[in-house]
Amino acid sequence: MKNLLYKEFKLSVQPLNFLFLAMAAMLLIPSYPYEVAFFYQTLGIFFIFMIGNTNNDLFFTTLLPVRKRDAVRARFATVIILELLQMVVSVPIAFLRNRLTNAPNLAGVEANLALFGVAFVMYAVFNLIFLPMFYKTGYKTGVPFLVSGVAMGLVVVVAEAAINLVPGWKAALDSIGPAYLPQQLLALVGGLVLFVVLTALAYKMSVERFEHLDL
Amino acid sequence: MTEIVSVTNLNKTYPGFQLKNVGFSIQSGRIMGFIGRNGAGKTTTMKSMLNLVHPDSGEIRFFGMDIQQDEFEIKQRLSFISGGVNYYAQSKLIVISDVYRRFYPSWDESLYQAYLARFGLDPQKRIKELSQGMGVKFALALGLSHHAELLILDEPTSGLDPISRDELLTIFEQIVDQEGATVFFSTHITSDLDKCADDITYIQDGKILASMGKEALVDSWRIVEGKTEELPVELRGRLTGLHERRGEFSGLLRKEDLGMASGFKVSGADLESIMVYSERTATSEKLAV
Repeated sequence: MKNLLYKEFKLSVQPLNFLFLAMAAMLLIPSYPYEVAFFYQTLGIFFIFMIGNTNNDLFFTTLLPVRKRDAVRARFATVIILELLQMVVSVPIAFLRNRLTNAPNLAGVEANLALFGVAFVMYAVFNLIFLPMFYKTGYKTGVPFLVSGVAMGLVVVVAEAAINLVPGWKAALDSIGPAYLPQQLLALVGGLVLFVVLTALAYKMSVERFEHLDL
Repeated sequence: MTEIVSVTNLNKTYPGFQLKNVGFSIQSGRIMGFIGRNGAGKTTTMKSMLNLVHPDSGEIRFFGMDIQQDEFEIKQRLSFISGGVNYYAQSKLIVISDVYRRFYPSWDESLYQAYLARFGLDPQKRIKELSQGMGVKFALALGLSHHAELLILDEPTSGLDPISRDELLTIFEQIVDQEGATVFFSTHITSDLDKCADDITYIQDGKILASMGKEALVDSWRIVEGKTEELPVELRGRLTGLHERRGEFSGLLRKEDLGMASGFKVSGADLESIMVYSERTATSEKLAV
């Protein structure tokens, strides 16, 4: 596993993936739908798979002394690491944003814990759709990315709508400061739990599909 | 000599293609050529052997172990080279080898460096800068440097010029003679096998027609030629790949049936003629295993 991860970061992960970490800086825009800042990394992950096709990545990997499911596991680990890195890089920038200005975000939820909860749900949905769809064929990336991209968009729309429409949510989840910390923490943990559960499900589906695939 | 690979009753059905009860074995320290025309099932058989394709049924054993149970250990001890190197074309050889070597506890860096020097490979070059022949050599250097006991190569010589082909086949011989490794390679270029193969496994339309020593295979067939009007019905029925033109015929005949061909011109067959004549006929069962 360690060797496969080394291979992933040495050969498969693209400079773009690290460049997209810098998209966390979008949280500094005073009014912006901050979920977009988290979307870019999924685009970067899509590039890993797309460029992987060009590089015959699956072919190279399966020539190594590994089982097919090990290749899937290493790729999942890579995706999760990149998603978590995006989160980690975004935390200080969110703090900085709120330190720089008190002005409310007019375009969406504030850069608070609830936003990170929504981002976890976005990544959970992306992982659940994109990865098993890719491992069904071992080469198709376009349609899986389109479908998962639309699904992430829906997550954002539903989350923003719920925060604005459900009584009490606007005050609790779309605010900065310690007053509503427990509620926002709950949104974060809820998102994280969904991320863990759906990613685990995506892994199970992907391994099963990839095992059945004739390369 | 011990049996290091055995394939038994391998079956795989695709729409429009079928591997049918494929079975053969490979002995250590030998070079086995796997021949058959394009689409005969060579690559599917190899991929099934390595668990890249899931057979519908059959048993595949390497070094006495079942590939389904001991895939990891088996793959440590062999190297599969499909064509040349057609992966990570933009990467330098040094980067690929840096990744590759980590997967093999038996990796021998000094041996790898020796192979690079011997094959004239510059580690700072990118994969895309290698000619096809150099690509195969790089793949061989990687495989040999983890002391692979078995090299499985899918069409390593196709697309190579005659000099590079000859060079590669000489390397195969050296690998077997000096390293004690075993080579199993597929090809449709029969002159490759004339040069270096000890054994031949011949696949036609998903079925193994023959798997035996090369000399024995070549010796078991003769080419018979003569005038069509003199060709008796009985002999006609025994000829494989009968070809008739302008009153002349030619065909392949089993050595034991030679008595039927007295009075006709009889000459020795070679691998190419055995392959061409037997592909020509629909009654492929004639070349029994």
